[in-house]
Amino acid sequence: MAQPRISAYLPPDIDPTKAALAFGRRALPKLNEELQSAELLTQQRALMALCDLVHDPEKVYQAIEIGFLDNLKTLLGHPDNTVRQKTTEVLHLMSTHSVGRWGLIQNGVISALTGLLDDPVDICRKNTHQIFDMMAKLPEGAAGVLQAGLIPPLVLKLQTELEEILELILDTLSNCLRMEVSEALATGAVGALKEKLTHPSAAIRSKAAQVLSEISSHPEGKLPVCDEEVIPVLVSLLEDLDPAVQASAAGALMFALVTPQGRSSAMAAAAIPPLLKLVAEETSKARLNAIKALTLLAELPEGRETLLDHTDTFRECLDDPQQVVTRAAQSAIRAIEWKP
Amino acid sequence: MLPARPPELTVAPALPYTYSSQPRSLLARPKYRAPPGAAEPEKQPVCYGNIMRDPRVARGHALAIRLLPQSTQPNPPEVQKEKSAQKKALVRKRTKEPIRPGTPEPVEGREHVYVQTELYLEEICDRIVEVDGECQTDEFLDRPPTPLFIPAKTGKDIATQIEEGELFDFDIEVKPILEVLIGKTVEQALLEVMEEEELAQLRAHQRAFIELRNAEFAELQRLEEQDRRIREEKERRRLEHLEKLRKQKETTEKIAARAFAKRYLADLIPSVFSNLYDSGFFYDPIERDIETKFLPWLMSEVEETLQKKVLGRTMLDSLIRTVVEKRLDSFSCQPLHGQTEAPAKEPRPTDAAPQVSGGTDAADQLVTEKEETDQLVAEEQPSDPISSQLEESDQAGTQDLETE
Repeated sequence: MAQPRISAYLPPDIDPTKAALAFGRRALPKLNEELQSAELLTQQRALMALCDLVHDPEKVYQAIEIGFLDNLKTLLGHPDNTVRQKTTEVLHLMSTHSVGRWGLIQNGVISALTGLLDDPVDICRKNTHQIFDMMAKLPEGAAGVLQAGLIPPLVLKLQTELEEILELILDTLSNCLRMEVSEALATGAVGALKEKLTHPSAAIRSKAAQVLSEISSHPEGKLPVCDEEVIPVLVSLLEDLDPAVQASAAGALMFALVTPQGRSSAMAAAAIPPLLKLVAEETSKARLNAIKALTLLAELPEGRETLLDHTDTFRECLDDPQQVVTRAAQSAIRAIEWKP
Repeated sequence: MLPARPPELTVAPALPYTYSSQPRSLLARPKYRAPPGAAEPEKQPVCYGNIMRDPRVARGHALAIRLLPQSTQPNPPEVQKEKSAQKKALVRKRTKEPIRPGTPEPVEGREHVYVQTELYLEEICDRIVEVDGECQTDEFLDRPPTPLFIPAKTGKDIATQIEEGELFDFDIEVKPILEVLIGKTVEQALLEVMEEEELAQLRAHQRAFIELRNAEFAELQRLEEQDRRIREEKERRRLEHLEKLRKQKETTEKIAARAFAKRYLADLIPSVFSNLYDSGFFYDPIERDIETKFLPWLMSEVEETLQKKVLGRTMLDSLIRTVVEKRLDSFSCQPLHGQTEAPAKEPRPTDAAPQVSGGTDAADQLVTEKEETDQLVAEEQPSDPISSQLEESDQAGTQDLETE
């Protein structure tokens, strides 16, 4: 019979798929024990309950202190799909917190996750890639990913994976390749990325161009980029409709044009008009990158004479609110008007 | 006596009670019931036992733990008889007093007759009227539903009505519930949104940083590249300049050397020529011819002639010697005169011969050296006096011969 008295406690959580949580501090240790039980149902229920708890950073800290990560690492190899999926979800939620990220690095979870790259279940793979993505945002995490030797498998996966996961892989790669690029070059990353530059999805195009810009920011990366004739493709991307794609393509060009080889191929691909158009747009993200790319091109004699006619475009950029853009425009004007 | 106990009953008390018996034919039963009072405690084989008295039927509380009525050993029937007799004796004792004695025995001459004294007479016959009645439920008929039991209404009717606002004020009471409900929902939603937002902020922050970093990095690389180019250019120009200087220096040295050499060698040719001329490289061919060929021939001819002369002289000497010896032999008595003559003549040709040979040797040497042509002439002169001496001695010899 309904009573008019309102209980001071929350209504009980009667979700049958979740394990019952013990009170207070005992909750996580009990879940830890349940995770190690032999019965499948207990493990699954414990994982579901853990997924809910992990949204709280304090619980994440406590979990890592107790030593959850060793159990979770063992569960990553479980034959049951639900267990694996939930485990990866828990790890992903942990990695969204800074405490979790550090805990994952220190306990070497990244190397344990390498086995899941070929998992048949899509969600597991997606969660795994999300974890890698979050970890790679941290410099130590990116170093961990590099040390676990994940770059060659990730580059190979570029060809075969689904779209959403592809975006995650490209993000991870762009963060990791900022550090070191030799392994990726050995597995032919430039060729794979060149294909992705013509992908129908705009997000993938922009992310692929981003990865290329990271590759070409390293000196040993510039040569393959010029050799494999990626520059004409990038120039064609400058006229893409999506602003993010334009920005990333301009960024990639900005790095690739440092070499004289790159510059000559860019001149051959008629890169100056689209770059000028990008500079002229006031609110474009690509403005900064385009100005830098044009500065590089201005060091070539034929570039300089073309750009001498367009110096007023650069003078407009001097009024930009961002200081970086102003400085870039100034250096561009200096480069254009330089006489030997 | 109870029927023979089937052996299956003798099981352990822990198992539930079971009973089974082999099929057996029923004992023959009498056609008529025994009269009501005739059943005395005679020990007859009782076909029908009272179920209440049946030891196999458990009596008492339904949930009580009970052992089997008989223990595991098969009790002999005598023991059972004793027990049942004991029980009956007990019962009899208890019911003895209230049981009235039966009707006294009939007096003599009288006979007791049974008479019915009830209101309604009953026909008693030997044969008991039996009527068979049977009852059978219809096949497959469900039990009909029990009729609704509606108890009769008892008591008084009383009515009451709760007006609005009497129990509780809905709006006030619902507030905390609503607060909790909505609050929790919104809190959960906020948490989720904040999480997402935090992540998005993180990403945006990182993106902005990356853009700045990339821009600066690109600028750095551009400047590096520029610097590298300029440095390379400078280096190249410097090398070129050095090369130019070196070449220039080399050229001036060459010119100086050439000038010096020219000057040095200016009078080289005349001096060379003069040296050569002096050393005899430029020779007049006729003169040389004369010197190389003619003069040796001349000298050899001269030598030959002289040799002839010498030969002649030696022959003459030998002739003279033989003559003198002969004369000596022939004039051995005049020894002093002939002896002084002979040795005086002998050293003269011997002196002449080595002098002539010395003169021919000198002549051979003089042929090779031009500078000693004067000596040759000078040597010829002493040979001339020798030849003149020889000629004189020849003449003396011929004169001597002639004298002989």
